[in-house]
Amino acid sequence: MSELHVMSTQQSPSIPASAVTGTGKPLSVTKVRKTYGAMAAVDEISMEIGAGEFVTFLGSSGSGKTTTLMMIAGFVEPDSGSIVVGGRDVTRLAPQKRGLGFVFQQYLLFPHMTVGENIAFPLQLRGVPKAEIRRRVGETLEIAGLAGFARRRPRELSGGQQQRVALCRALVYRPPVILMDEPLGALDKKLRDQLQTEIKRIQQELGLTVIYVTHDQEEALVLSDRIAVMRDGRIDQFDTPRELFERPRTPFVADFLGAANFLPGQVEDSTAEHVVVRLDTGGVLRARAQDVTAGTRVRAAVQPGRLTPVAPEAGFCTGVVESVTYVGTLVRVTVLPEGGTGSTVVRLEVPAGRAPYVGDRIGLSADPGDVSVFAAGTEG
Amino acid sequence: MIGLRNSVTGRIVLTILSLLVLLFLALPIVLIVVTSFGSDALGSFPPESWTLGWYQQVFADDSKWPAALSLSAMVAAMTTVFSVALGMTAAIALVRSELPLRSAVYGLVLAPLVIPQVVIALGMFLLFEPASMLGSPIAIALGHTVLASPIAVMIIMATLKGIDERLEDAAASMGAGRLTIARRITFPMAAPGVVAAAVFSFITSFDEFFISQFLSSVDTTTLPVQVFNVLQYDVDPSVTAVAALLIAVAILALAVVGVVRRLGSDKQSGLLPVETGISAGGETR
Amino acid sequence: MAAPVLAPAEPAVATAPGSGPGGLRRRLSGRRTRFGLLNATPIVVYLLVLFVYPIFSTLLLSVEGEDGGFTLHWYADALQGTNLDILLATLRISAETSLLSLVIGFLLAYWITRLRPLWAGLVMLVVVVPHFISALVRTYGWIILLGDHGLVNEALVGLNVPGAPFALLYNEIGVVIGTTSVMLPYTVLLLYAVMRGVDRGLTAAAASMGAGRLVTFRRVYLPLVAPGLVNASVLCFILCLGYYVTPALMGGPKQTMVAALIDEQVMKDNQWNGASALGVILLLLTFAGLLLLQLFKKVGMARRNRGAA
Repeated sequence: MSELHVMSTQQSPSIPASAVTGTGKPLSVTKVRKTYGAMAAVDEISMEIGAGEFVTFLGSSGSGKTTTLMMIAGFVEPDSGSIVVGGRDVTRLAPQKRGLGFVFQQYLLFPHMTVGENIAFPLQLRGVPKAEIRRRVGETLEIAGLAGFARRRPRELSGGQQQRVALCRALVYRPPVILMDEPLGALDKKLRDQLQTEIKRIQQELGLTVIYVTHDQEEALVLSDRIAVMRDGRIDQFDTPRELFERPRTPFVADFLGAANFLPGQVEDSTAEHVVVRLDTGGVLRARAQDVTAGTRVRAAVQPGRLTPVAPEAGFCTGVVESVTYVGTLVRVTVLPEGGTGSTVVRLEVPAGRAPYVGDRIGLSADPGDVSVFAAGTEG
Repeated sequence: MIGLRNSVTGRIVLTILSLLVLLFLALPIVLIVVTSFGSDALGSFPPESWTLGWYQQVFADDSKWPAALSLSAMVAAMTTVFSVALGMTAAIALVRSELPLRSAVYGLVLAPLVIPQVVIALGMFLLFEPASMLGSPIAIALGHTVLASPIAVMIIMATLKGIDERLEDAAASMGAGRLTIARRITFPMAAPGVVAAAVFSFITSFDEFFISQFLSSVDTTTLPVQVFNVLQYDVDPSVTAVAALLIAVAILALAVVGVVRRLGSDKQSGLLPVETGISAGGETR
Repeated sequence: MAAPVLAPAEPAVATAPGSGPGGLRRRLSGRRTRFGLLNATPIVVYLLVLFVYPIFSTLLLSVEGEDGGFTLHWYADALQGTNLDILLATLRISAETSLLSLVIGFLLAYWITRLRPLWAGLVMLVVVVPHFISALVRTYGWIILLGDHGLVNEALVGLNVPGAPFALLYNEIGVVIGTTSVMLPYTVLLLYAVMRGVDRGLTAAAASMGAGRLVTFRRVYLPLVAPGLVNASVLCFILCLGYYVTPALMGGPKQTMVAALIDEQVMKDNQWNGASALGVILLLLTFAGLLLLQLFKKVGMARRNRGAA
């Protein structure tokens, strides 16, 4: 409750001029590798992250996203490769010598210190004069919408407030890069949405370089300038959310970001404009232009949200509506396609006003730009 | 209905029996405290009249108690310093690092709690007698440390386990070095546990009888040895007052631990170190 | 992929150690090991010198003849005549005490698990506080209580109990009462820890299936707490074996225990070798008890595993 209160009174906190400086530095990771036993947790990952960029490592557990973050932070030592922050090679440095900021999922506020003391701690370590510390702690609390909380103890705060304090503590000393390990993972949905907005706002206003780890694709899409989709210790694709959505490079990316439908078929024609696929269900589907040759067995991927219901026979596929589920303003529809095996369905999402009824016979259509094809047998 | 009545009678019987057991535990202690204020210190209950005479006798000029008391206090203080120092380092090694042969080290640390004290005492005697160190406060304290340090290790280990190690990582990520982390993060949070360890070490030594008995000399005896000798050989009514003082010290010690726990910011239950101290003997691993 | 299949692909999930959120461990393991060794050294050295070495020298002394050669005659001495009687008395009194502690400890611990948290806390205080009061002092309390004109006998006489006053001091009754009172808090805490872990839902489930109170207790509750009972009674027994204070103060000549015998041989008879042999015997009995516990644990575990499979 106090969470909401703080939000409403601190709708647009003014950022002091001194804080509005691009403090973020670029970071580059080159061929970093970490194995546990015979298992490669991170397999030669390389990436360049620009100053002031918000980058998310997205993947399921075991994808290597957290291990990579821990190597950047210095908690895990890479077997090989190098990590350079703002031109300084930090690969073999202890965490405390790297000068980065880290926000943990479990907040990890020091329980024996007040909120103010927690935030002052990294400044004290850096020998900042007392008056300056007081000024910067107050300023940072204000940015995070926590003015007046300095004397409270962490355990008196709600989860959301605690995570804001943790955020303050990580940014008060203007680290060149702030690392965040599923910082909102322990919070409920509503609070998470709220804090996502906050984090994004602060990152943009202060020009922070942020590396964020999550398994929540929605969160990644909301926050990131670029997302690295990770799987089995490698990066499947490192791109802007839009590119990932529109031009997924692997079936895994298509599936992980949007739970895509995969429709098997064969390429009939491949031109500079589009790829024409004859689906196994009989219809013809046009996909965006890609490097495939006619005759190849493929799977065409299309997100449920990019399918439009049309008149029967008008689309690439026709079928009977099997179920209709309301999810807020969206409606999830499953369609049993004619010519299919009968055991599989196509899923689509349409605005509530345009929902068909169960038992309706409808056609499905998609914009060629929203359809990607992958050669059959591509893993994922 | 019958089942219900059975269960109610059962519960009443259980409660009465349990209260009797509690009485069994508490009665000897209460009795000593009350009797120590009675005019006839060894006799009838309740006392016919009240007096502070026995306490005055304990601290009288010709009394043998003050010397024993100060020796016990000195030995207990030394034991506390040794045990806490050993306990802290050992707990750090066992909880916060990678230790080869960890379970062997842990087993060695806990062993003094299950080995019969008479065996430990005998071994100590064989060690210190040839060195003519019998009666030396340092020898007695070194002996008590064998019993007190496992308890200190257990308590500090439990405390360290209760402190999220990632808090130390968090501090490191902000630039704090090893020493700073220890001084600013770990130690302040572990302080209640360290105080508890110190208090329990102190009281373990202060109350210890058997090792002291073996390591005392005729003219240097600790308080418990003195109490034992009085009870076994010459009856001195002021012993009741001394016993009451020993009770007071123990309760005071527990109160200190309780208060420190309450002041500490962690959420662990107030009795945790006490239970750890007791069940320490139950760990056979 | 011959049949026309329209299905979303399963997201690939693999697990790697150390990459989950809980896997945050400093992997700078060389430094961590050195740090561990550095911190473990003081206590290990200390215990080797003041604990292991003395016990080891006891062992040597117990097999050393007057001429310095190897002999077992100290053990032969320890296991015959009066010494054997004392050893047997020690075992007997330890058994009586641990049995009594177990029974009344079980009663009390069970009662505490059924109390509301606040009451349970208060009652635990009554259990815990005595544990930290010197056994010597508590024994003294019993000496006052159990004397011919002590509170207990006065009460019994007052109630016109036939035969009162009883001789409760300087005999085995007194020793067992006193020692039980000393061991009880320890037993109760061990038992309470186990009993607190028993899911109350299980007994309720048994009752819901029609099991009576006795059946539920015998078939569900007891098996669940049995390992704790064994643990508590064996540990209590071991502690009694080497116990000195209460038997020495409250017992008569027939209640002399091994610890008292060792004390006498060292302090009065200057007979270190014989004392050492007795000490080693106590040590072996202790190890036997601990071994028995390990055995029980293994059997219990094996049985549980078989149940799970």
